[in-house]
Amino acid sequence: MTAHIPVDSADSPLGARATRAVAVGGPLPFTDPRHLAAHQWLVDETYLLDRQELEEWLARMTEDVHYYMPIRVTTSLGAGYDTARRMAHFDEDLYSLERRVARLRTGHAWTEDPPSRLRHHLSNVRTFATDVPGEILVEAAVLLFRSRGDVDGPSLVSAGRRDVLRDVGGEWRLARRHITVDESVLRTQNLAVFL
Amino acid sequence: MSDLSDVVEHVRNGMLPAHIYNDSEIFAAEQKSVFSRSWVFLAHESEIPQAGDYVVRRVMENSFIVSRAGDGSVHAMFNMCLHRGMQVCRAEQGNASHFRCPYHGWSYRNDGRLVGLPFHREAYGGEAGFSRRGQRLLPAPAMDTVNGLIFVSLDPEVPPLREYLGDFAFYLDYYTRQSPSGVEVLGPQRWRIKANWKIGAENFAGDMYHTPQTHVSVVEIGLFREPKAEKRKDGTTYWAGGGGGTTYKLPPGTLEERLRYVGYPDEMIDRMKRVWSREQLDLIGRDGFMVSAASVFPNLSFVHNWPKVADSDDVLPFISLRQWQPISENETEVLSWFLVDKEAPEEFQALSYKAYLMCFGSSGTFEQDDVENWVSLTATAGGSMARRLLLNGRMGMLPDGSAIVPPLGPDQWSGPGEARVGYGEYNQRHLMNRWADLIEAGPAEAAGVAVGTTGQEDAR
Repeated sequence: MTAHIPVDSADSPLGARATRAVAVGGPLPFTDPRHLAAHQWLVDETYLLDRQELEEWLARMTEDVHYYMPIRVTTSLGAGYDTARRMAHFDEDLYSLERRVARLRTGHAWTEDPPSRLRHHLSNVRTFATDVPGEILVEAAVLLFRSRGDVDGPSLVSAGRRDVLRDVGGEWRLARRHITVDESVLRTQNLAVFL
Repeated sequence: MSDLSDVVEHVRNGMLPAHIYNDSEIFAAEQKSVFSRSWVFLAHESEIPQAGDYVVRRVMENSFIVSRAGDGSVHAMFNMCLHRGMQVCRAEQGNASHFRCPYHGWSYRNDGRLVGLPFHREAYGGEAGFSRRGQRLLPAPAMDTVNGLIFVSLDPEVPPLREYLGDFAFYLDYYTRQSPSGVEVLGPQRWRIKANWKIGAENFAGDMYHTPQTHVSVVEIGLFREPKAEKRKDGTTYWAGGGGGTTYKLPPGTLEERLRYVGYPDEMIDRMKRVWSREQLDLIGRDGFMVSAASVFPNLSFVHNWPKVADSDDVLPFISLRQWQPISENETEVLSWFLVDKEAPEEFQALSYKAYLMCFGSSGTFEQDDVENWVSLTATAGGSMARRLLLNGRMGMLPDGSAIVPPLGPDQWSGPGEARVGYGEYNQRHLMNRWADLIEAGPAEAAGVAVGTTGQEDAR
């Protein structure tokens, strides 16, 4: 019996193309060059997301990326699952992510005009070797602070992430992101922003 | 409570006192008069397919367990122990033969019957002192289903569900019965928005007018070809019985060509032809209309759209069911489900799910902009200036109350109810007139408590 049930692309109706990489062994030492590279990659990404430089963010994805945030549900400890069956907040490939970003650039995406003020707080980074050559797995915690308007209360989205980064011609690209959101009922008006 | 007769009168005239979208007094009246008298959606049978499956849902602040018992029957039970009032189930979903209260250990079978309590003999004098017979979790005062949709009402005197829905049942089949097997309901995505619940219900009931403005970005990126202003106004709004909705006008063609146009594969079309009536088929094949958004009073809505899901010209249809769950006068919990025909091919099911996620729900590109508007509207409606403003909800109505266009005749619209081509707020007025009727009628009489008795009735 465990309170930790990992997100799995195999549970997604759209996850068939995602890399199946799994962690091998314990976390890499913080001095390991792969950990240092992964950590820097994630920190650099938070700057792109906070500034909504989303075209650059998309350029850091692989062609077969699976960006997946299933719905968390409250279940008893022995239930064996804590995400909704075949339903998610995000279940994206590169096409759908690109359409979302393109929409925000039309000048008519009212929900982000005026834009949200965003801060992705990143912590708890651990990096693992995987069973797939050229792919590493990196875990992190992310707390998104989002403020809209002048007096509206801010919203927070807390989540764990497990990412697979792939070495593509000497640069790391995001091949898979599993987002374990920490709330069953989100307290933000929409997910017009990314985690 | 102050007199709401002025509010009711303005609403019936199509002029909406702006404060009704953010007013604690109005909200209290809605709790007592609207939500205590109406049929409210709780769950779909496909969410609890196996014996023992359950989900926990709310009607206003009331928590109900919706469970499937060992004999396959569905039960909706108030989630409160008969002894000291603890929630007997604190999960949102799962599978259980019994619910055991964590406080003192009273346990209930998944049909609600009390089957055990610790130290029954020593503490209560056994069956002679406190009979378990007849003791059960308080059932919903009324429960009924249609096409697998489970509704409850807090009013035991509510008219039967079929009567309440009336002719809307004709349109319900497009969303929830595309084959003999019916739909599978997946989700819900749940999130809370700082908006009044009525805004979503009104919008989905008949607001074709917002589509080309609010959702222009979705057309601009090539995701959806339909909402262009000139296309949207060729569709209809219709109202029938307990609900109403909007349609798009499809290009000329046969029934099959028109269903293919929105992305249905031939095998699904064949099944639709088997389960839908001549009139239901004619609305598409002969009249050329395809259902899009709809609402059932008070707070249940549907949507059916057909966006692109990949970099090609093909489109894929999806269906969503959503509930605008009132939290307060300025907050709503949205529960948004994805529906798909159980017999649909696996690939269709996967791509329809993708279409849904891209368009509606917590991350959907249509829904994102809707909610932004509704939050803004609600915030502004909370001030004293809003009490001086009557919002204009009279689109489609002339000063004398007559409609600017006549309803379609039976040769143009094969469905029941009243349908009109073009922009108009007929449906929003239908919805809000029903709301006004209930606000005016006032609270339902509190129903007698049927269970939670002393346990000595059997002896009398």
